[in-house]
Amino acid sequence: MDQTNILEAQMLTKVYEDGLCALDHVSFSVKAGEIFCLLGDNGAGKTTTINLFLGFLNPTEGVAIINGIDVAKDPLAAKQHVAYLSDVVMLYPNFTARQNLDFFARLGGRQNLKRDDYYNVLRQVGLQEKAFEQRLKGFSKGMRQKVGLAIAIVKEAPAIILDEPTSGLDPKAANEFLAILHQLRAQGRAILISTHDIFRAKEISDTVGIMSEGKLLAMKTRAELEHENLEKLYLDYIQGKVAA
Amino acid sequence: MLKILLEKELRDIIYSTKFAITFAAAAVLVLLSFYVGIRNYHESVREFEAAKATNAASIAAATDWRQVQNRVFRKPQPLEVLVNGVTNDVGRTTDMRASGELTLINSRFSADPLFAVFRFLDLNFVVIIVFSLFAILFGYDAINGEKESGTLKLVFSNKVSRASFIMSKLLGSVIALGVPLLVPLLIGCLMLLGLGVPMSGDEWIQLGLLIFAGLLSFGVFLTLSIMISAMVTRSSVSFLLSLVVWIFSVLIVPKGSVLLASQIASAPSMDAIESQKRKFTADQMTRRMAAMQQWFSSRSVGMDTSFTSKFAAFQDSSTKSFEKERQEFYGRLNEDWRNKKDWQEQWAFGISRVSPTAVFQIAAMNLSGTDVGMKFRYLKELDRYQDSYAKFIQAKTGSTADYMRVIIRRFSTAQSDEDKQKTLNPSELPEFVVQPRPLGSTIAASLFDLGLLVVLNALFFGGAFFAFLRFDLR
Repeated sequence: MDQTNILEAQMLTKVYEDGLCALDHVSFSVKAGEIFCLLGDNGAGKTTTINLFLGFLNPTEGVAIINGIDVAKDPLAAKQHVAYLSDVVMLYPNFTARQNLDFFARLGGRQNLKRDDYYNVLRQVGLQEKAFEQRLKGFSKGMRQKVGLAIAIVKEAPAIILDEPTSGLDPKAANEFLAILHQLRAQGRAILISTHDIFRAKEISDTVGIMSEGKLLAMKTRAELEHENLEKLYLDYIQGKVAA
Repeated sequence: MLKILLEKELRDIIYSTKFAITFAAAAVLVLLSFYVGIRNYHESVREFEAAKATNAASIAAATDWRQVQNRVFRKPQPLEVLVNGVTNDVGRTTDMRASGELTLINSRFSADPLFAVFRFLDLNFVVIIVFSLFAILFGYDAINGEKESGTLKLVFSNKVSRASFIMSKLLGSVIALGVPLLVPLLIGCLMLLGLGVPMSGDEWIQLGLLIFAGLLSFGVFLTLSIMISAMVTRSSVSFLLSLVVWIFSVLIVPKGSVLLASQIASAPSMDAIESQKRKFTADQMTRRMAAMQQWFSSRSVGMDTSFTSKFAAFQDSSTKSFEKERQEFYGRLNEDWRNKKDWQEQWAFGISRVSPTAVFQIAAMNLSGTDVGMKFRYLKELDRYQDSYAKFIQAKTGSTADYMRVIIRRFSTAQSDEDKQKTLNPSELPEFVVQPRPLGSTIAASLFDLGLLVVLNALFFGGAFFAFLRFDLR
């Protein structure tokens, strides 16, 4: 697998105008074919990190790099190399699954895709065939999440950022979702996931970053985690029982 | 990129159930307003023709032009039915006299007081109430609604600039909502043609501008609500704000401006003016009676031709001088009142122009000729006709008969040749034809408000654009 860093945070810091430090000198990288989970409770700084990678915020210090491009310097160019799936995947309820996919694919620069291409991606994420041409109005959260993932896949970006992707999904839908992430990893995508779901993080990640109060307290690889209780480790870190 | 976003915006609006329901409601109301208007027009024309025929019959039954009680009637105009304006408040009938002040009686609302309470469903009402609500309903969550549904972040995770996104929102909403509204409006125009409403070329141009003004008014509310949506994070808050703006614009500002204007620039009421006129007329009557008594007391009454012709000459000269005096007094009174009223109206319209609804209404009334000046333009036409009517009566009777005139006639059991007069021919009367307001004047009167609507559109369009450039996408 290519060992190039696709996503890279270098001393990433965000201090808001009111003085709140949402992110404090956070550094990590995600290589091609790697899944990196940012684990932390609410307000830990996971979403701020994602917002900095997507150019929705400018860093106070440090840089967020996507495929070698500094997001703050050239956000539009950087966005060409990343696909994103938010925690709220309402999409456009008046569009069918295929129409949603078509719109976001074209927005992502995939102009010449055919109906069958969309159907293949929707099949890949496990959406039922009968739902392809149905409006999203009646879709469950799990179904919408699949369409959202299809949107991220169809862009064929080297990096994928997922914000709380399994929240609100039932166990079956969450497992199906993670299975697709395994496939994407196998295809060489660099995947950054923010979550507070410790068990899913351990199950899917190559590396887990534990965050609390804007700091990245620890990074553990899959191999390191095999011999550790992640839940205990996580709680110890956020309660300050283990020094960062 | 703009093309993709614009296409999505158009589809998103057109595919929505909200659009189907609101568009259907707006289309039905537009068509209904045209239909009701056309029916009202035909009914008004029938009433007008019937009234004219009755008047002609009563003239035809008379044998002396001095006995004639001629009435003239205001002819219904096609555009009045689309924008009622003040047309239903202004009297439709006038008792025509060769001298004296002319008044308008028998307004539509005095004949049908129920309509004065609920008013008619005209195109003006549909644009002011329905179009503006329609615009708000689609604009209030245009930006923050996308944030709430997560699509804004998803869109901006792609190579999309803020400028192209907001442009697509604004243009897409205007096209997706404005163009469909044109359809029922154009069908309404075809209804005017198909259902036999005679429209001149000028009136078609005026109608075209009226529709343009309606769409501009719609555009103001649409861009305004999109701007609010780009300034407020939560759609529930932007809906509330848009609704408050709508209430102020449609209900409070126009009514409040009249109240405020009457405080700033007071004008005497019509009743006060009428009272002064009545007092003057009563005083003049007393003086005329005294003059007549003096004339009679200074000579012996006889029935010879010389006496009657002297008496007629006295009455002519007396009428002329009293009429001149009355005209001068009434003229001064009317001019003073009109000046004060004009000033008050200028204040009222100036203040009301804070509201886009009022701006549209003023433009619409000017374009359809049903503005507040309509009554005075019509009275001028009546005055113009009164001159030719007076000349006609003078020619027919040798004098301009007035209400104080005493007619001396000799009666005998055997009818003389003079007594065996033929009945009158009403077609001899000069025809009362109202000169239509020139197109240039109509357009000039509405140009400021049309321009203001364009400026408001541009202002809110720019406001929405710049507000979105600062919008927090997270």
